Amino acid sequence: MIGPLTQVFRALVFVLIGLILCGIIFEFAGYSAWLMFQSIAEGAFLSARAWQNSLRWALPLFLTATGVVISFRCGFFNIGAQGQFYMGAIAATFVVDGLTGYPPALVIPLTFLAGIVGGAVWALWPGLLRVRSGTDEVITTLMGNFLAGLFLVYVTSGPLKDPSGTGQAASSRPVEAIYRIGAANSLSPAIIAICVLVGIGAWVLVNRTSFGVLSSLAGRNPIMVVWQGARLSRLGLAGFVLGGALAGLAGTIEVMGPIGRLSSGMLPTHGFTAILIALVANLSILATAFVSVFFGGLAAAGLYLPVLAGLPAAAIDIINAAIALFITARAWPKRLTNLFRSRRSAA
Amino acid sequence: MEDAIVAILRSGTPLVYVTLAGVLAQRAGIWHLGLEGLMIIGACSAVLGVVQTGSLVVGLGIGIALCVLASALLWFVIEKLRANPIIAGLGLTGLGLGGTDLAVQAIYGSQASVNAPYGLPRLGPAFGAFGVLSVLVVLMPLVVFAVWVLVRRSRWGLQLTACGEHPFAARSVGVSPSRMRLYALCLGGVLCALGGAELSMGSLQIFAYGMTAGRGFMAFAAVIFGAANPLGATAAAFFFAIVQALGIRAQILFGDKVPHDLLLALPYIATVIGIWISGRLRGGAKAATSFGELRDY
Repeated sequence: MIGPLTQVFRALVFVLIGLILCGIIFEFAGYSAWLMFQSIAEGAFLSARAWQNSLRWALPLFLTATGVVISFRCGFFNIGAQGQFYMGAIAATFVVDGLTGYPPALVIPLTFLAGIVGGAVWALWPGLLRVRSGTDEVITTLMGNFLAGLFLVYVTSGPLKDPSGTGQAASSRPVEAIYRIGAANSLSPAIIAICVLVGIGAWVLVNRTSFGVLSSLAGRNPIMVVWQGARLSRLGLAGFVLGGALAGLAGTIEVMGPIGRLSSGMLPTHGFTAILIALVANLSILATAFVSVFFGGLAAAGLYLPVLAGLPAAAIDIINAAIALFITARAWPKRLTNLFRSRRSAA
Repeated sequence: MEDAIVAILRSGTPLVYVTLAGVLAQRAGIWHLGLEGLMIIGACSAVLGVVQTGSLVVGLGIGIALCVLASALLWFVIEKLRANPIIAGLGLTGLGLGGTDLAVQAIYGSQASVNAPYGLPRLGPAFGAFGVLSVLVVLMPLVVFAVWVLVRRSRWGLQLTACGEHPFAARSVGVSPSRMRLYALCLGGVLCALGGAELSMGSLQIFAYGMTAGRGFMAFAAVIFGAANPLGATAAAFFFAIVQALGIRAQILFGDKVPHDLLLALPYIATVIGIWISGRLRGGAKAATSFGELRDY
């Protein structure tokens, strides 16, 4: 048993170790690490405009990360958030594109429903394979990510192609302004409201319901859950589907809100970042909200760096990757702990 | 026909080298999702090394050194810090993709790709249509055989397999699973560097950002598909290469009727079906992760 303060402290230490590794890489590549971190902080948090951008990126990440938290807590390693995010976005775009002309009061709810179902279905099949046949969910969800990525390329250059599009990346027609729930790259009250609702709902689900108790038990000791008489497979499937549904919701929000259209290869690191957020937050919903803001800030800085600071955006990918490398660490090297222990006993 | 074989060998060889690296790690009990990152580090350093120093040997040497270093880092994080191998591996992949992008931008500015003045040595016109194949393609069967002997016919291979399947048993006869994993990962690092070099220098002589395009993950799928057997995994890697080559050919033959992207999806679908069937046959695969590792209670 580890106290919450120790958990926070340890997450911070491993994030710090990741950042030090990044600093070393930046210096080796010939950039000033200090300048790099300073510019990232400027792009993420050091102005009102930066905060607004950070929150814009943090909100969808928070939704997907909440889904990852729920499915990880059930004890299933669903790393397919990216694919589920894409499938949600694709399903939403099909509906909003097909129903153009109908009143927004009808179209918007249907679009959200389609997005949520799209994400959930893309999580359902790996879940079913897992609980029915024992097929490892790491591989199926990973393959699912690639399949969804290819499907995205296919629909944006085929069925949903914008005929007037001339950009490098194929994309769908922009969503009509009356159906949008947020203007381009800005914060919208509707999206904030959805995130707050989902956050509260997920917190209650995880901390105050029998599902939450059983699922976190299932994550720790599946045999015990079976002995308690709970259906492990049903619990796991629910975790998969909820995770997929939230990722799909995030995809819908990106299409209907800040981005406003579906484009091939959009936000390719969204799912990975969401998994990272869930792990840094140690699978707690409350912590996920705070950690999302940090990673949302990094995402905002990724857009700020090349334009305003003249530094490569790859720096953000490196920071995310370095944090991923260390964040699941659960021990210190023995020699190091021995060193501290001998010091303490000497004193 | 000859052209088809050449095309398959060219696209299959980088995959085979990386797959063999994945086999070694899998045997040692590590799910290696850092293959993609190691591969692109190998591809990038081969091209940058040649452009900057003018020597192919130096380029390959830097690639191998960096890949071994990165593998050792992955080992340290997994074994010494007890991190989750899957997340740490994905982190390594991210570091490789981001790091090579950063390196190219640091040296060449915002340039999309780097051309090398020359590539790996080729067989030459004396071999007809096969003359365009590089030495690494020719060496590939030997490497596959060597890894097969190492894994299936040597004492070291048996110890390695024991470390993956039953670390406690390995430990009880005086084999350190941790150390065996270090050896397996570092050897895999060398193979990934070679696979990456073949990708960037074998036929194209160019490095472009993200040019591995998921091949590392495809190699991982081949490892699982081939049940971590060097020969089986090599066959799986070639199966993927053939499907890709077919996809390109079908596009030429049928044009728009068969969407190219959906054909590219075939290897992934094949992997899912393969894992599903093998899981059913074995009666339930064992889970990769235990969840106590991910969260402290």
